[in-house]
Amino acid sequence: MPVPPRLGSIRIKAARFGSEARRKGEPMQDKYLDAVVLTRRTLTERITEFLIGAADGQALSLAEAGSHIELRFGGAGDRFLRHYSLIGPLTAGTVREPFWRIAVRREDRARGSHFIHRHLLPGTRLRVSRPINAFRLARRQPHTLLVAGGIGITPILAMARSLVTRQQAFSLLYVGVEKAQMAYVEELATMCGPSLTVAETSRQGVPDLKAVLAAQPADTTAYVCGPSGMIEDLIKAGAALNWVPERIRFEIFNTAHRPEDQPFEVRLKDGRIVRVGAGTTILDALEGAGVDTYADCRRGECGLCTTAVLSCDGALDHRDRICSGEDRAHQMTICCSRITGHLLNLDL
Amino acid sequence: MASTLDHPRSDNAIFAAMEPHDCGSFANNTTPLIRNCWYAAARVGEINRKPLARTFLGVDVVLYRTEAGEPVAMRNRCPHRSFPLARGKLVGDRLVCGYHGMEFGADGACTHLPAMGHAPATASVRTFPIVDRGPLAWIWMGAPDLADEVLIPDTPWLSDPTWGTVSGDFHILCDYVAMHENLIDQTHFPFLHPDTVGTPDYARSTLTASTENGQVVIRRELRDAPPPGVYGKPANIMHKRVTRSSEARFASPALHTAYARVAVPDPDPGEPSLYRYNITHVFTPETNNSIHYWWFNSRDYRPEDPAIDRFMLEAHTQAYSEDVEALQWINAVVRTDGEEQFDLSFAPDKPGLMARRIMYRLAMSEQD
Ligand code: FES
Ligand code: FES
Ligand SMILES: [Fe+2]
Repeated sequence: MPVPPRLGSIRIKAARFGSEARRKGEPMQDKYLDAVVLTRRTLTERITEFLIGAADGQALSLAEAGSHIELRFGGAGDRFLRHYSLIGPLTAGTVREPFWRIAVRREDRARGSHFIHRHLLPGTRLRVSRPINAFRLARRQPHTLLVAGGIGITPILAMARSLVTRQQAFSLLYVGVEKAQMAYVEELATMCGPSLTVAETSRQGVPDLKAVLAAQPADTTAYVCGPSGMIEDLIKAGAALNWVPERIRFEIFNTAHRPEDQPFEVRLKDGRIVRVGAGTTILDALEGAGVDTYADCRRGECGLCTTAVLSCDGALDHRDRICSGEDRAHQMTICCSRITGHLLNLDL
Repeated sequence: MASTLDHPRSDNAIFAAMEPHDCGSFANNTTPLIRNCWYAAARVGEINRKPLARTFLGVDVVLYRTEAGEPVAMRNRCPHRSFPLARGKLVGDRLVCGYHGMEFGADGACTHLPAMGHAPATASVRTFPIVDRGPLAWIWMGAPDLADEVLIPDTPWLSDPTWGTVSGDFHILCDYVAMHENLIDQTHFPFLHPDTVGTPDYARSTLTASTENGQVVIRRELRDAPPPGVYGKPANIMHKRVTRSSEARFASPALHTAYARVAVPDPDPGEPSLYRYNITHVFTPETNNSIHYWWFNSRDYRPEDPAIDRFMLEAHTQAYSEDVEALQWINAVVRTDGEEQFDLSFAPDKPGLMARRIMYRLAMSEQD
């Protein structure tokens, strides 16, 4: 059974949907708000759940399934920005939860998730963005297939809850190494009943995604979140079955960060050198150094941060979804892309 | 680690949890609007291939219909630079923003961004559940997962061809709480509506009021009385003594229904012995101090008679205009008068207070 979160004596008021603040005449211009960690709970050896509240004790607005927030944290020279999906309540039919629930998997050598696990304790202050819905679940669909890989379950759980609450037909495939390493398996089983299939790759190997798609009713739309390899496989399987691309909707988890990332340096036109740590991005490092940059999505989707590359002593490692063709040789999205070498000269 | 938030909040929490028992503190025009409720958005025919902008519960919404005829309700605000999408144009089922041409499908997802040459995955607009039911389209502005269509109020007589219905609408600068109280309060009839529904003896007849499943119902009956003109004239029974019975019901924050029955103990040969009227008041807060209002008056006899239609439309338009005027005057006083007042209530105000208490509780239950 889900453990009810202990909030101590922090009282959280109103949980409303949408921008109540505007109606009350309060300014709602700021995309970010001051937040505080309310509680944390260990879900598996590597995954910890955090409940985040507004620092002023006001209720946070409810977010639609598929929404994520940007979390800014760190200090003393460390600057991190990460995106986390809002999970929401763990039971169907419950829509009110005045805090935001996220789950973070600690990756080997990935400094952001390490920092979170080590330093985010009840009472820790954070800056968080208001919910961004970039992975919107369409309302009326004959059938929905949800596919989650590992910690990619977080937006998928919210979608499953929405579908169960609205009594819409769906099935959920949850893939992980083994149950002991997978978050929310019990809650999902209670919520989804026979609509849930848990696939443990340690026992059954990697599921045949083409067979999974082929077994779906016609007019199924798939929503997938997980490692990029899994998403690519599902897209390929869909293409092989002649699914139109819009039928597979996906969200790539943490595009900007991989465990093997290495630090490097960026040289600006005025000769200044800015160090980009293994756990941060070029954009974050430049912002920290006071360079005027432009960014919106911060995960390779909007193109606003695209910057011309003057030279690089290694290869450009493009991780966005917009820079294509010839452009890839001389420009990059600095919010998520990196290099394999040591020095990058940017036209900044 | 103890939070610094603990202490200042705990007393407030206790006070916040105390429900007001003083009836002056039940729902009023400052109470947060109840969001988890189906509200009427428009007449079905008003939603068409020309995008229509309308505000519900303080949120700007654009309404249109897909080529297949499905209603769509979308936030009337482009996620790019807040251009009102209703001022864009409809191409197929997609709404194209009139500023830089972003296109949104009926599910709110961006399908095209001309300046980038592809659709950005990050962009979509919030859509709201909306359903056609009888003459009205109903919208859900609250938590979308709670939008159960079973909860849409049932008003089958509005689409029943054996009933004749006349209808009108108003945009009123008043709050929906005052509107509800007005509708369940019949003691104002002889004074605000002396020429139509108000007959002095009916106002003094015994009234029963009760709360049933979150609804408030009042009923009254009067025997051996002259018929009220508004129901007696169209039925041609003004020369009779009749039994009048009626019910008025606060049905939901969005709906008030009422009926009137006029029984004629000695009908003229070939004429009915019972005349039934159903009155349907549907309204949606536009803001805390303005509402969209649709009314319907239905009768169970001579559904196609144009003379009766004309009479009913005129009589009711006049009566409701009187309510509209009164509610606007009251709202203006409440909002602008500089000296505070706690309104007095008397025994006959109980049904209105029952409805205001229910609305207060619904509103507060959405707050914590
Ligand atoms: S900020 Fe959107 S692609 Fe970099
Ligand atoms: S404001 Fe709508 S596309 Fe720019
Ligand atoms: Fe009236």
